[in-house]
Amino acid sequence: MEDFNYTRPASLSDAAATHSNADDAMYMAGGQTLIPVLKQGLAMPTDVVDLNKIDGLSGIEVAGGFVTIGAMTRHAVVAASAEIKNVLPALTVLAGGIGDAQVRNRGTIGGSLANNDPSADYPAAVMGLGATVVTDQRELSAEDYFDGMFATNLEPGEIIKAVKFPVPEKAGYGKFPNPASRYALVGVFVAKTASGVRVAVTGAGQDGVFRAAEIEDALNNNFSADALSGVTVPADDLMTDMHADAGYRANLIGVMAKRAVNQANGQG
Amino acid sequence: MPDISLTVNGEQITKSVEGCTLLVEFIRETLKLTGTHIGCDTSQCGACTVHLNGQAVKSCTMLAAQADGAEITTIEGLAPEGQLNPMQKAFNDHHGLQCGFCTPGMVMRAMTLVTDNPNPTEADVRHGLEGNICRCTGYQNIVAAVLDGAKALRG
Amino acid sequence: MSNVKIGESLKRFEDQRFLTGHGRYIDDINLDGQARAVVVRAAYAHAIINAIDTSAAMAMDGVLLVVTRDDWLREGFKPMPTKSGVKNNADGTPLKEPPRHALAIDRVRYVGEPVALVVAETLGQAQAAAEMVDIDYEELPAVTDPVEALKPGAPQLWDDIPNNLCLNFELGDKSGTEKAFAEADHVVSLDVLNNRVTAVPIETRGCVAAYDAAADKYTLWNASQNVHANRDTFAEVLNIDKSQLDHIAPDVGGGFGAKNSGYPEPSLCLYAAKRLGRPVKWINSRSESFLSDTHGRGQSSRVELALTKDGTFLGLRTTTVGGIGAYAWTVGPFTPTGGSARTQGGPYNFPAMFYSGKAVLTNTAPMDPYRGAGRPEATFQTERIVEYAARKLGFDPIELRRKNLMPKEMLPHKTPMGLDVDSGDFPLLFEETLKMAEKADLGALKAKAEAAGKKYGFAIAPYLECTGGGPKEHAGVTFNKDGSIDLAVGTSSTGMGHETAHAQILAANLGVDVERIKFRQSDTTATPLGGGHGGSRGMEVGGNAVQQAAQEIIELAKPVAARLLQSETDEVEYEDGTFKAGASSVSMNDVIDASMDKDKLPEGLDEGCLDHSSVFERGVISIPNGVHAAAVAVDPDTGTVEFLGYWVMDDFGTIINPMLADGQVMGGVAQGIGQALLEDIVYDPDNGQLVTGSLMDYGLPHADEIPNMEIGYYEGAPTKKNPLGVKGAGEAGCVGACPAVVNAVLDALNDYGVTHIDMPLTPQKVWKAIQAKGAFDPKKLLGDAA
Repeated sequence: MEDFNYTRPASLSDAAATHSNADDAMYMAGGQTLIPVLKQGLAMPTDVVDLNKIDGLSGIEVAGGFVTIGAMTRHAVVAASAEIKNVLPALTVLAGGIGDAQVRNRGTIGGSLANNDPSADYPAAVMGLGATVVTDQRELSAEDYFDGMFATNLEPGEIIKAVKFPVPEKAGYGKFPNPASRYALVGVFVAKTASGVRVAVTGAGQDGVFRAAEIEDALNNNFSADALSGVTVPADDLMTDMHADAGYRANLIGVMAKRAVNQANGQG
Repeated sequence: MPDISLTVNGEQITKSVEGCTLLVEFIRETLKLTGTHIGCDTSQCGACTVHLNGQAVKSCTMLAAQADGAEITTIEGLAPEGQLNPMQKAFNDHHGLQCGFCTPGMVMRAMTLVTDNPNPTEADVRHGLEGNICRCTGYQNIVAAVLDGAKALRG
Repeated sequence: MSNVKIGESLKRFEDQRFLTGHGRYIDDINLDGQARAVVVRAAYAHAIINAIDTSAAMAMDGVLLVVTRDDWLREGFKPMPTKSGVKNNADGTPLKEPPRHALAIDRVRYVGEPVALVVAETLGQAQAAAEMVDIDYEELPAVTDPVEALKPGAPQLWDDIPNNLCLNFELGDKSGTEKAFAEADHVVSLDVLNNRVTAVPIETRGCVAAYDAAADKYTLWNASQNVHANRDTFAEVLNIDKSQLDHIAPDVGGGFGAKNSGYPEPSLCLYAAKRLGRPVKWINSRSESFLSDTHGRGQSSRVELALTKDGTFLGLRTTTVGGIGAYAWTVGPFTPTGGSARTQGGPYNFPAMFYSGKAVLTNTAPMDPYRGAGRPEATFQTERIVEYAARKLGFDPIELRRKNLMPKEMLPHKTPMGLDVDSGDFPLLFEETLKMAEKADLGALKAKAEAAGKKYGFAIAPYLECTGGGPKEHAGVTFNKDGSIDLAVGTSSTGMGHETAHAQILAANLGVDVERIKFRQSDTTATPLGGGHGGSRGMEVGGNAVQQAAQEIIELAKPVAARLLQSETDEVEYEDGTFKAGASSVSMNDVIDASMDKDKLPEGLDEGCLDHSSVFERGVISIPNGVHAAAVAVDPDTGTVEFLGYWVMDDFGTIINPMLADGQVMGGVAQGIGQALLEDIVYDPDNGQLVTGSLMDYGLPHADEIPNMEIGYYEGAPTKKNPLGVKGAGEAGCVGACPAVVNAVLDALNDYGVTHIDMPLTPQKVWKAIQAKGAFDPKKLLGDAA
């Protein structure tokens, strides 16, 4: 892989300054996507700014009706968190199904969201729970944060500090893995909140994570898997690749939504 | 070139590395510890698995510079020279390896699997090895080895 | 008496180094002063090379050399010949063999074909310079599907090979089969695809080449399964005598056929090493491996079965079109022809059979052996048509099979495909396998699956195998003064455990402790000949060579023993490590010690008189056989297949080491399951680009996708074709697995009227077949090509 300047700043301001002074800098969080990208030469930054030594970017706080997860918190830590499991077990299920054990020991929630791979899991939770992405500059709602495949509304140099998930009444996550890569071929996050049901789908949309209105409507009437019988999601804007065409993905959205609802209802 | 100081298999090491040097390259080429293997370029096979501060990571998906200050254990550091630890012995007892190429990564992952879950079920082991690919054994004997290794390590 | 016996699960000696990180694989070898090489690979599936400009690459930091076609033509290097076992077309004319050079000369014909070799001081420099080699291509239309390649108007890979047809092969009784079909009550026909896959040993290919100018000699360390045959190929390419090339395989991290062929890269590195006067190292990346390793299977076949009203088989006719890639590689043309013909019909009693197969050139990576090389295809074709016929005609699939298995009394029997089936008991293995499965309480498994909303399926698949690979093997034994015994064999273990099994055979025969034996393999300096690995030949040819050498050493030892026993040689008898003459005896250990001591030797014998080499030559290939059975649950909502049980009975003749045999079966089954459910090499038909170019898209089975298998052996009918009585175990697992798995899944889908799905049975395909329900119609893959 092409060489680059490697720096490991100790503060957010140093990181941002290093980033802005470089010709073409990239931040590195867990590196579980970025390093393979660098290896393949798909990105050739002049500078890699490692966020791993910045204090205060990792950790979990459950308080005031929110689960707040520091951007550099590893997937394995979220998956194993008893605190989160108490109030939002679907999130530990989701984090525990990302990649594999080794990947979960390095990969971070901030890195996953900044990269916004259309097959990543975390975008489904952020959109499904209506979470807030907290950066070094501002707070972004889920709707404002995502901007299509591999794209977000982060400004150049902006760093995610944390993600604030409102605790729902109940939630579930159903994932169907790609048979080869084990990324989400379809992942559906379902949340029942005081203000209604939110259903977010990852892995399937041509523009990345999206909310499935048909499923939300059905579940607002009756939050049970049975309510989804006969509910279909249009295949028009779904991805087609060698592992799944749009029609199959549309089917999987329905099936995974049912499983997520059952999980939320403690039935599976 | 960043300077890094780290502990590898109990030995304190200080070296200069290029920013782009992968941890696996540092281990294999600089430290000449060739038991850690490279089997793919998409972070899937797990042959490069080592312990970073006691946790299994894929050393092909980490920069050497990121290991500054860390404690690394490779397959060579698992047991004193010429001996097998209980997990390694279980792999030998159960014919849990054939060509041996995925084996170091498999054993390193197995060690952390049983640290995290000292009394795993067969399903736990099969699921827990999802980051490691073996093409020779069909996994059956690996799973048997990990279950037996777990038992031996529980004592 | 030895501390080991044949038939005992001796634990492996090689494990110690593998488990502690001290294995020595190709990428672990580094020579002083070595340079690093990177291959520049074709970006197009089919294109004329107008020009290659290396000037920018040569100007890069650290670059030492760029090898191109100009070098190859100037040096007069030769193409690599095919060693296909079938050389002639059905009409007697020779197959059409295009020149296969290590570098593309006029055109590139598959994505990934080597076009240049860049050598630099470091790997990074070589990689950077490889990007700078400027190749002026003129793209041509490409064809990747062999059925399409045969059609009029298809892109032509070679001007002098019409219709891209390399080889057109026939075997069996054509008119007798036609007659059987004409007289049959039922004729059933099905087109089946045997999907294209690749072996993916976890260690990629690589080599280190060195040249000694003073001696005009080359040394090549290479991740090869077949050092002797590959040495001959490389020597032929480079116009050198084979004595000028030492070829050594270090520990090899899996092969399965993908490291069998004489590839282009070693010749390129040997040449570069000579040009530079420095060792040159090359290691393939995983992504490059998908482009440039040999692929396997990839056959489209029409299978036809003729039966009587009561289900008795009358005839089998199989018509296959097999792609072989852009060139005729080592055994590429053989696999879809002779390789797939021989075991057609499996263990069933077919009075008439006819096979025709076409080996077709396409703009794809080379096709060469992959574990089984033709036999898995033949078994799949046979078992699919039997299952399909049972469904279509209303027979019970188990009963239909049971009815048509060759009875034990029928053996020995020569099949209509010319296969000499000497020993076995097919009905017994069939019933034993069913008993194993029934012990698992299939009814309860079914009820449990159905309670979870899943569909239950079960299938049983008998298979008939045959061995192959090089017919000769060398075993050399040297006794050392320190008590160790060197054993050198020309076989190649890439994980199968020969270091243990061969030592076990030698120790058991000689009656010595097995720990004394130091094993060497895969080294042209250790054995003058060797057949390497392939065709499940390790024990069948290699094991017998070891046994033969041991038996001959016992004869050589008798005069030494006679002197120690103060007796005559012809009075000495040997049994289990002890020589006896009358009431007195002496151990083999003492005789070995005496052979090192001139004073203890009879007149005319010198120290080292027991050192001995022997070459075993196989007469007729042996016939491993057995039965697989699988129980599955299919989730109709997603199309996902889950295993409820897997059972295998094998007849491998004598089992040398049951633990190692189990390992071979388990690994083979896992690869068969991979092919059946997951693995698929996909090319874009429009431009010939490889779609499945990494493990992100080419799925390999993980630990949570492979079931535990219950494995049993039948040792009641060892073959008399070789002294050990072994039949070969290496490939059988993946021969039986595909039909067992596919037929079990289709059994689960019976309620939906689904009668066929082409492999791999991915969740998407299974789900779509369920949606299509009774309207599902198997594709006519062969079109007019049949």
